[in-house]
Amino acid sequence: MSSSTRNRVAVVGSAQTVLRPAWSDRQHVDLISEAVAGALLGTGLRMEDVDFVIDSGSDFLDGRSISNCGFLGAMGAHHKEESRVEEDGLWAALYAATKIASGSARVGLVIAYSKSSESDPRNFWMSLAEPFTQRPVGLDQNSVAGLYAQRYLAAAGLQASALDAVSRYSWAGATSNPMVDADIATVDPGFWTTPIATPLRQADLARPVDGAVAMVLASETVARPMGVQPVWITGLGTAMDQHFIAGRDATSFPAAAAAAKQAYRNAGVSGASDFDTIEVSAESTVGELMVLEALGLADQGKAINLYADGAGGRLNRSGGALPANVVMASGLLRMHEVATQLSGRSDHAPEGARRGLAHGTGGLGMQNHCVITMEADS
Amino acid sequence: MTNIAIVGTGQTVHSRRRTDVSQAGLAREAVVEALADAGLTMDDIDSVVIASGPAMFASVNQPEKWLVDSLGARYKPVVRITSGGGTGLAGALAAMNQIKGGFARRVLVVAYDKLSEGQLQASISTLYDPFWGREFAVGIMGFSAAYWRARMDKLGHSEEAAARVAVKNHKNALLNPKAHVKKEITVDDVLNSRPLCWPIKLLDVPPISDGACAVILAADDDALAITDTPAWIRGMAYYCEGDNVANRSMLQSEPLKLAAAQVYRDAGVTNPRRQFDVAEIQEPYTCFELSYYEGLGLCPEGGAAELIESGATTLEGDIPVNPSGGCMGANPIGATALIRLAEAAMQVTGKAGAYQVKDAELALVQAGGGWANLRGVAVVGAEK
Repeated sequence: MSSSTRNRVAVVGSAQTVLRPAWSDRQHVDLISEAVAGALLGTGLRMEDVDFVIDSGSDFLDGRSISNCGFLGAMGAHHKEESRVEEDGLWAALYAATKIASGSARVGLVIAYSKSSESDPRNFWMSLAEPFTQRPVGLDQNSVAGLYAQRYLAAAGLQASALDAVSRYSWAGATSNPMVDADIATVDPGFWTTPIATPLRQADLARPVDGAVAMVLASETVARPMGVQPVWITGLGTAMDQHFIAGRDATSFPAAAAAAKQAYRNAGVSGASDFDTIEVSAESTVGELMVLEALGLADQGKAINLYADGAGGRLNRSGGALPANVVMASGLLRMHEVATQLSGRSDHAPEGARRGLAHGTGGLGMQNHCVITMEADS
Repeated sequence: MTNIAIVGTGQTVHSRRRTDVSQAGLAREAVVEALADAGLTMDDIDSVVIASGPAMFASVNQPEKWLVDSLGARYKPVVRITSGGGTGLAGALAAMNQIKGGFARRVLVVAYDKLSEGQLQASISTLYDPFWGREFAVGIMGFSAAYWRARMDKLGHSEEAAARVAVKNHKNALLNPKAHVKKEITVDDVLNSRPLCWPIKLLDVPPISDGACAVILAADDDALAITDTPAWIRGMAYYCEGDNVANRSMLQSEPLKLAAAQVYRDAGVTNPRRQFDVAEIQEPYTCFELSYYEGLGLCPEGGAAELIESGATTLEGDIPVNPSGGCMGANPIGATALIRLAEAAMQVTGKAGAYQVKDAELALVQAGGGWANLRGVAVVGAEK
């Protein structure tokens, strides 16, 4: 991306299914097909114009080995180049962007999905831990989030009750987002108070839901004449932390900071203040605070202050990943949200938004981070 | 035009059970050797692509999250590509795009499988549709046998022709210090071996192995700054076909043909039999090597039996196939595709030791996975 000789890459279309706790009357292929058809709709492109498909999903969540093989038809990949990135879909978008930037292809389809309602998501998280020392302890996504939260709140001098501002903000966004089924926040009286992993309550933890998202990326030569507002990808960054939780920094995400730094350098921006809309992923309220600090939106321990006005109305307008976490797809959903806002196709975009940032995460305790920055023509 | 080269390769010693290392240690062993081959350290690596077989094979979900520590890759881009048996080649393709797309300059690709730690055929059986497929498909052997049976009648891929593939590859593996099956066999041994899923018999099947392979890629001047003997990747592609069997050819792999056509065009290959000096192709069963001879254009359709019988694909022939011994020598499934690529690079740079094909300059690589529906091809040359 950094070199002007590379091809520019644009998001020219994207779509998602409604995100629900359980799509019990729909199969994986139904959700995937709906997202793929929606992403192509209005672009003028048809499936035969797509050169390649990069997809994200989890064999463990799907209960199938090489599960991409079972969905190639629904993904429209038949007789095309296809690869599975077994990480959040934002990394699939990164792969597709490099493939188009390299000049080896012009149009790529990126897909991410999961139906965690068909399995126990806790098994998914626990099987991420290496089997010798961490897995036998019983670490899961909630206990790891709780450990981080205790250390973070102590370092920041905050009470757990302060986190209410984060979850209330996120669920308010989700409740006004027609693509998220957010009923639980209003119909379940225990939702806001049930303790899960001290000091975190149920509302502090990302809620796993079912859904799919698809996105069409194209080279400048294809995107320019299309008649849609292209959203240019300006920066890509990703970094992985070490695996052992006890060895990681307990109060910040250096890997998220490294990913952001790489993306900002690519994009030629000085920092997070340059973005008009920002969508981040997190497994918990505290995880979201740590991501925002790693991106440079707030000093360490101070991100909570951003929730007074949603970082000036720029942050997680969709509600973010806490109310609706499609494991393997939440990051790509963030990118879809930003691209939709920048292209003028969203009804909840900040006024005049031109530059945006999407963040995704993967791994137990948010070990891996990815940042993609985008820009619309002025 | 950016040209990408392989500037370092490494492989573990493969064996049925590597009880001396964990998965992380296994991957590290290959990486240490590849870095030494390239004269680099992890500080020189911008990005890491990890490729492994289905995570259920070895019962660790997203194992790259665990491997990152042993590879010394903390705070670097690390991503895992998974694509069944061909995943090593799919991973290398992702790495090439990272370099060509300007995301990274020196990329480490690591592929491995530790098959002693999981239930292989049970994991493979979950490949099939849970409602209509899983009940009868039984591992990967069932449909492979059906394919072979169809090809036997229509293309003459006889049991004896396939047996010659096993004999040839076992013989070559004797020369490969990394191979773990070292046993000379005869055509009669293969024909008389126990039927597993007829016509597939025990000696038509490669071993199950623990093993890893690592390859380092860099472009143009970066490559030349690292080594005097880069192996240039002249083309690489990885195609799929839909999962619906009714739409698929039993006789010729259509994604293989698509991949070969694209790669041959990129590499300027018009007569594969004459132009290639050597080929490394992934043969999960003997019958597949016969099929690939045809799909890759080394012989006409229906000519595979004649080609193997002519001896042309032996180490002494004019188009040696699998001088390393192929999967018959070692078969850590997730690593086998990258091993084929590494072996091809070793051949065109004169580093293949006892099984070096004399004056090899242009090598053909093939690998694939999934439900025989993911197929990759690459061409590696001594010249750009």
